[in-house]
Amino acid sequence: MRPVHQWVWSDVDRRLRKLLTFADVETDGGRDIVRAAEVTPDPLLRRLYLEHAIDELRHGVMFRERGAALFRARPSRGAVLFSGNPLPGGHGLDDLQIDGEPDHRLLAFLHVAEKSAAGRFAIYRQLVDDDPATREIFEQILRDEVFHMNYTYAQLARIAPQTYRRHVWHARAKRLWHRYLRVAAALAGVLGNTMLTIIYFVLLPPFAWMARRAERREPRGWTPIPSGRDDSPRSLY
Amino acid sequence: MKILGISAHYHDSAAALVVDGLPVCAVQEERLSRRKNDAGFPMHAIEWCLDRGSLDVDDLDAVVFYERSMLKFDRILTCMLRSFPSSWRSFPTAIKNTLGEKVWVRGIIASHLGVPKEKILFTDHHAAHAAAAFLPAPTHRAAILTADGVGEWATLTIGQGERRADGTSSINLHRQVRFPDSLGMLYSAFTAYLGFAVNEDEYKVMGLAAYGTPRMTEQVGKLIQRTPDGAFALAPEYFEFQTTASRSYSSKFVDLFGPARNRYDPLDLDSAEGQRFADCAASVQRVLEDILVSIAAQLKRDTGLSDLCFGGGVALNGVANARILAQSGFERLFVPPAPGDAGCALGAALYADRIYFRNPDRDIPDHPFWGPPVDAEELARAAGEDSQSVERLADAALVEYVVEDLAAGRIVGWMDGAAEFGPRALGHRSILAAPHSREMRDRLNRDIKSREEFRPFAPVVTAEAAHRYFDLPAGGARLARFMSGVFPVRREWRDRLAAVTHVDGSARVQVLERDMAPRLHALLEGYGRRTGIPVLLNTSFNVAGEPIVTRALEGYSTFRRCGIDTLVAAPTVVKKQPSSAARRLMEGTTWVSESAAGSGTV
Repeated sequence: MRPVHQWVWSDVDRRLRKLLTFADVETDGGRDIVRAAEVTPDPLLRRLYLEHAIDELRHGVMFRERGAALFRARPSRGAVLFSGNPLPGGHGLDDLQIDGEPDHRLLAFLHVAEKSAAGRFAIYRQLVDDDPATREIFEQILRDEVFHMNYTYAQLARIAPQTYRRHVWHARAKRLWHRYLRVAAALAGVLGNTMLTIIYFVLLPPFAWMARRAERREPRGWTPIPSGRDDSPRSLY
Repeated sequence: MKILGISAHYHDSAAALVVDGLPVCAVQEERLSRRKNDAGFPMHAIEWCLDRGSLDVDDLDAVVFYERSMLKFDRILTCMLRSFPSSWRSFPTAIKNTLGEKVWVRGIIASHLGVPKEKILFTDHHAAHAAAAFLPAPTHRAAILTADGVGEWATLTIGQGERRADGTSSINLHRQVRFPDSLGMLYSAFTAYLGFAVNEDEYKVMGLAAYGTPRMTEQVGKLIQRTPDGAFALAPEYFEFQTTASRSYSSKFVDLFGPARNRYDPLDLDSAEGQRFADCAASVQRVLEDILVSIAAQLKRDTGLSDLCFGGGVALNGVANARILAQSGFERLFVPPAPGDAGCALGAALYADRIYFRNPDRDIPDHPFWGPPVDAEELARAAGEDSQSVERLADAALVEYVVEDLAAGRIVGWMDGAAEFGPRALGHRSILAAPHSREMRDRLNRDIKSREEFRPFAPVVTAEAAHRYFDLPAGGARLARFMSGVFPVRREWRDRLAAVTHVDGSARVQVLERDMAPRLHALLEGYGRRTGIPVLLNTSFNVAGEPIVTRALEGYSTFRRCGIDTLVAAPTVVKKQPSSAARRLMEGTTWVSESAAGSGTV
């Protein structure tokens, strides 16, 4: 994956898009961990989750501010920056339902996610040697990630001393499964869009012509609402 | 009868329960799921409502959804067809969104709740808005105005409602303005243009408008023209919201107003560019107000009634509301605490009760506190476990304690009783502070809210003292009951109320009567005795990007993460201590390898 990362980070627009995406992912992840702190019955975990969440929210701010600074310094400010979905990445908790999730499962998930993120951030740090401010952010975040990896694993071992290894493997397998689901959903999305686009151009033109004709006859301004309009409470129309 | 109302699938989902004609509870999904503006099917909210009402699904007589989804699909498809072929990009997404889930709402409700389909009913979107505005209002006959982005086809409706002595009720909406002509969409297009989030940050445009001069009303006038019958029509070439969900305004719009603001650019109001954006905001605000005032004045002439009930998301615009009250000729203006789509859950349930089932009219308690209660013991336990300073105080002592804190410049997180239904913190989930200095405003912005400097904070004042500090017209105190109007701070008090006085000398004040929130009222009186001014700064109890807190633990986690000094859930008071030792404890350990962790290294 290193050539892909290199390609992403070598361009200013892609770099700042990535930073802004990270900002959103870290912030969302931070909020999810806040929720975890609110629902856990374990006082020590609550304190650690809160510390963790504060870190993640701070990372979000750091990424956002750096992205905004790069945006302001960007030579081609008039050009479109976000023409579609931002680049994927980060390690947010977008797939995780916090409420009802037992702590051991959440800790295993967090541990695996943090470890994976730390590995990627270490690579990104090397790839932004030409940009000391961004490099400094990755360094700071990597220091936090060590704490996050450490506490999640240690706490997992504390609350599930017999089964913690199994939980970690289960979290890894689940992560892989979610990746597969994401790819499958993206593929299905492309197929669905293609089919609907074909339908749009093949089936819709006569209806479009009729709709335009009808539109020309439609009055602007006030339209009376027929009395008895709401007499059919079971109607979806 | 037991009726559950639901709003969902667009933004701000909610559920509300009405039993024997009276609301029992109502809550937005975001307050329970903790995802801001959660638009998903409100399962958490429904479950909580049923729990609160001690009901099973089988006990419900009806479940009412707040709009007619097929009619909405008809509008989406028609707009796609009308803009053929330029809508080809958005067509697949729009079709997948609507056909994927939203149109099958009857089946969704039936499968989620397990209710028979015969019990599932629907109202028109604007009928639900109208019911939410009229039926809980303390009036028996009123004109009704609803305005939002769009429901099914309607974007604005007018009519009138009546609650008769024989117990029957009627809501008759006579006329509508149809999509794409929409005041809400016009305002949202400017919200997007100014770099804010659509359907969320419209109030920022209103706040920004005070910094500008409406010198671009002529340009805005090209976007929206008055029709000969007194309504309005948008010029479609300036907008794209009718064909795509990804962009609200067209390149022609940009040609007219200049380059749009990027949301990552700071808004510097001292720069020419920043001033241009403020002027844009002021101009669209002025045009919106002018149109609303003229429509309301016409409605007054047509109906001859003295009361107006105003619902829909546009009714959150407090500046426009104050002008409607002052200039339309209506003596009283009622805006519910949740005029937006969330409030339609309650509106739909009430509409079904009074109009579909013709149940007798009942007076609805005039307050916004229909949400989950706060558990002071839960707060005491969590704070105690974290070695925070926890005290339990009787009411009078608690008030005195908090008054001293506020007078000393401390910031207080205040949770009391049931949470508010709607977007405003009206004294049960509030952050309170002294209202006197700009430094306090800056501190709140910096340490808690992390928000733009131009945004004002709101004051809360006792009803008895409101006229002394604020220039309230006749009917103004009523409009300010749910913080729905913006009024001038009296000139002589502006320096001493600097934290809550906006740049134009106005404030979105809440006028608090004792019976609505007795404990907060006592606090205001105590603060008045201590400082001479019974006014406090009152902002919603949340941090940027998060919903307002609901339960004690959510208040506690917010308290721990930001610059709030004292947290109150009567009778529990928590004073902030230095950060916990949890992290230091963990940082004292070196990296624990996965193989070694099992041996208990912590």
